Amino acid sequence: MIEWAAPPRRPLLRQPAALAGLTWLALVILAALLGPSLAPGGPMEADPTRSLLPPGPGGLLGTDLLGRDLLVRLLWGARWTLEMGVLGLATAVGLGLPVGLAAGSLGGRTDAILMRLMDGLLAFPGLLLAMAMVAVLGTGLTPVAVAVGLAAVPPYARVARSVTREVRAQPYVEAARAIGATRLRIALRHILPNAAPSLIAFAATQLGWVLLNGAALNFLGLGVPPGTPEWGAMLAEGRAYLRDAPWVSTFPGLALTLTVLAANLVGDGLQEALGV
Amino acid sequence: MRRVLLLGIIVFLLLAGCAPRPGGRIVYGLTLAPSGIDPHVNASSELGIPLTSVYDTLIYQDPETGEFVSGLAERWEVSDDGTVYTFYLKKGVKFHDGTPFNAEAVRFNLERITSPDLASQKARFMLGPYERTEVVDEYTVRIVLSEPFAPLLDSLSQVYLAMASPTAVEKWGDEYQLHQVGTGPFVFVEYVPGDHLLLRRNPDYSWGPPVYQHKTAQLDEVEFRFFTDPATRSPALETGEADVMGEIPPQDVARLEASPDFRVEAVALPGASLMMFMNTGRAPLDDIRVRQALLYGTDRAAIVSTIFKDTSPVAYGPLTAVTFGYDPTVQQYYPHDPERAAALLDEAGWVDTDGDGIRDRDGEPLVLDMVLMSWGYMPEIGQLLAAQWADLGVGVESRVVSYPEALEIAGNGGHHLIPFTLSGSDPDILRKFFHSQAFFNWSKVEDAELDGWLEEGARVSDKDQRVELYSQVQHRVMEEALVVPIRDYVNLNGVSERVQGLRFDGRGWFPWLIDVTLAER
Repeated sequence: MIEWAAPPRRPLLRQPAALAGLTWLALVILAALLGPSLAPGGPMEADPTRSLLPPGPGGLLGTDLLGRDLLVRLLWGARWTLEMGVLGLATAVGLGLPVGLAAGSLGGRTDAILMRLMDGLLAFPGLLLAMAMVAVLGTGLTPVAVAVGLAAVPPYARVARSVTREVRAQPYVEAARAIGATRLRIALRHILPNAAPSLIAFAATQLGWVLLNGAALNFLGLGVPPGTPEWGAMLAEGRAYLRDAPWVSTFPGLALTLTVLAANLVGDGLQEALGV
Repeated sequence: MRRVLLLGIIVFLLLAGCAPRPGGRIVYGLTLAPSGIDPHVNASSELGIPLTSVYDTLIYQDPETGEFVSGLAERWEVSDDGTVYTFYLKKGVKFHDGTPFNAEAVRFNLERITSPDLASQKARFMLGPYERTEVVDEYTVRIVLSEPFAPLLDSLSQVYLAMASPTAVEKWGDEYQLHQVGTGPFVFVEYVPGDHLLLRRNPDYSWGPPVYQHKTAQLDEVEFRFFTDPATRSPALETGEADVMGEIPPQDVARLEASPDFRVEAVALPGASLMMFMNTGRAPLDDIRVRQALLYGTDRAAIVSTIFKDTSPVAYGPLTAVTFGYDPTVQQYYPHDPERAAALLDEAGWVDTDGDGIRDRDGEPLVLDMVLMSWGYMPEIGQLLAAQWADLGVGVESRVVSYPEALEIAGNGGHHLIPFTLSGSDPDILRKFFHSQAFFNWSKVEDAELDGWLEEGARVSDKDQRVELYSQVQHRVMEEALVVPIRDYVNLNGVSERVQGLRFDGRGWFPWLIDVTLAER
């Protein structure tokens, strides 16, 4: 039996930390949607006469080696971050959830086979697994997002399985089985709705992981084509000029840090709000 | 009087304090960890940096005059038909393991290089139409070619055709690269791949070429370390982790120059300039007007000043300005002229009909596929070119790939544009790029006349005739708009002020470590 003495729930909007995280994520999404219209000229517009200008009146956040405005690039870059988050998370949940649900609710040999498979994948560090996937899928943002999502499948499947097993042991599931409900019906109608809070909260905490590792792959040059204003790639571009022009790396790094932090805060907040 | 004496003593002490002294050790930073470092087998320039001091070559090239001077061969003769080279060797030369150097050793080395089993990546090709080596007597050896080959002397003066100890080669077999034995001013002590390579002074050395200033090495030891990440190079120099560092990033040059503790020695390299090859075999670059438009639309000066901080000259043709046979009249071609570029594209039928900023023709947008490698600032150059061409209404889709991938793509003509650069001291290097059968024929050019000039240039030994032939080649390459030249390669070496007497051979890559001394602080 499960102890239901859960911690007191607090709505997401009543938690200052989660609220701050949510605000930042909202800003990032806003930048992704409106960035192009806020920042005319485009992120690739080079002007060699404005190479490596420090933050100032010429450009609020300064310029990079090729004289491109960093603020413009950061705003545009939010799109890649958003795409990475959505696509990566969709892959992780889209594959991890069915695997975990099937393993947890069917049990037996299915459970053993699926989970040994996941254990095998878990043996690789997540980033390494993602890199291997990129080698198979090719470079570009979509392959990188999918690769990071795939690397996040095993932990998600594991959590989904354990939550499923917890719920499966509940009397109402036993009752459903007793009245002859099919396995599929039990999994989708009884287990899934009751497992949802935990699954949503865990997915939110994985968002940060997906964003960070997606950026890492782009930092390593495995993702977007050169010059793309993706934050991880921008961070890598500025690395060579760290001594003389620290702003080129600092601002994308800051944006990335804040976004990953925000995703984690929201994830924690969701856990508290949903009481899991 | 006493004051003058005192002043004299102080000045003397100061001078003595700064004077170079024999002995000591330096750490020399290499920029990439080569997969193999056997000079007869492998092709990287990096291996020659340490190994030039481990080996001697039959002859040397004086970088000032361009003339060839004696090395392990005291003198040599070339037959009238240019196919037989006779070398008279120095006597009393010994390999580091005690093996005597003689005609048989020369034959052994050349046979090793040309043996198909060795699968030589560079040395074999430098011997051209090599046929055999004949031992005339103990100190006389003949190299016989099947046809004349003008670059042979240049080849024989490079470390790739250096003389290795036959005893050591036979003893170590496949592992020879870890136990190399030559006759040079430094002895190969140990090599831990990817970590370090250590050289120690050869006290018995006395047979150096006239281009060396000392009879034996002044330093006791030179340790080579690998600094593959460009961002770590200047910091390693500044923290004293290394005393000499190759390929300093251009943006660090001003900072190092401003410091009293460091200097930057910029060595212009002969060879092929960094150029963007345009695939003439793939539409729309099969149209010369489009290729010329790209050239007119390129502001090379802006690229060189932004990315290379004006540390290297703008390139105008396929050869760098310091290469023998370079024709300065190529500078007339394709000044930056966006209007002319636009007119050429209009004429070729490429106009922006749908107003998306990209020109199109018959519904096809003018978008070019650019293949880049991650080294040599290619991604940055690619981005700046893309930005410049975007103003013309030409779109660029670029991707960064590994070297083997690039070779495959460019070999199959799967690119529109791909940059490359290669150093080499003879203009015959052009044959590698613009001959219809060339390995690096990435412009996919097929021009019988061009082939003829390139083949003739490799055959004739008359200098004026060669200059004339290569001038024709350079003009043809630019008239046909086969490449977008970007910059001449300049190797930026960061050097600690305590290191003195550092000089490089005519290729610009390989230091003559024998003459390096350490200033006392």
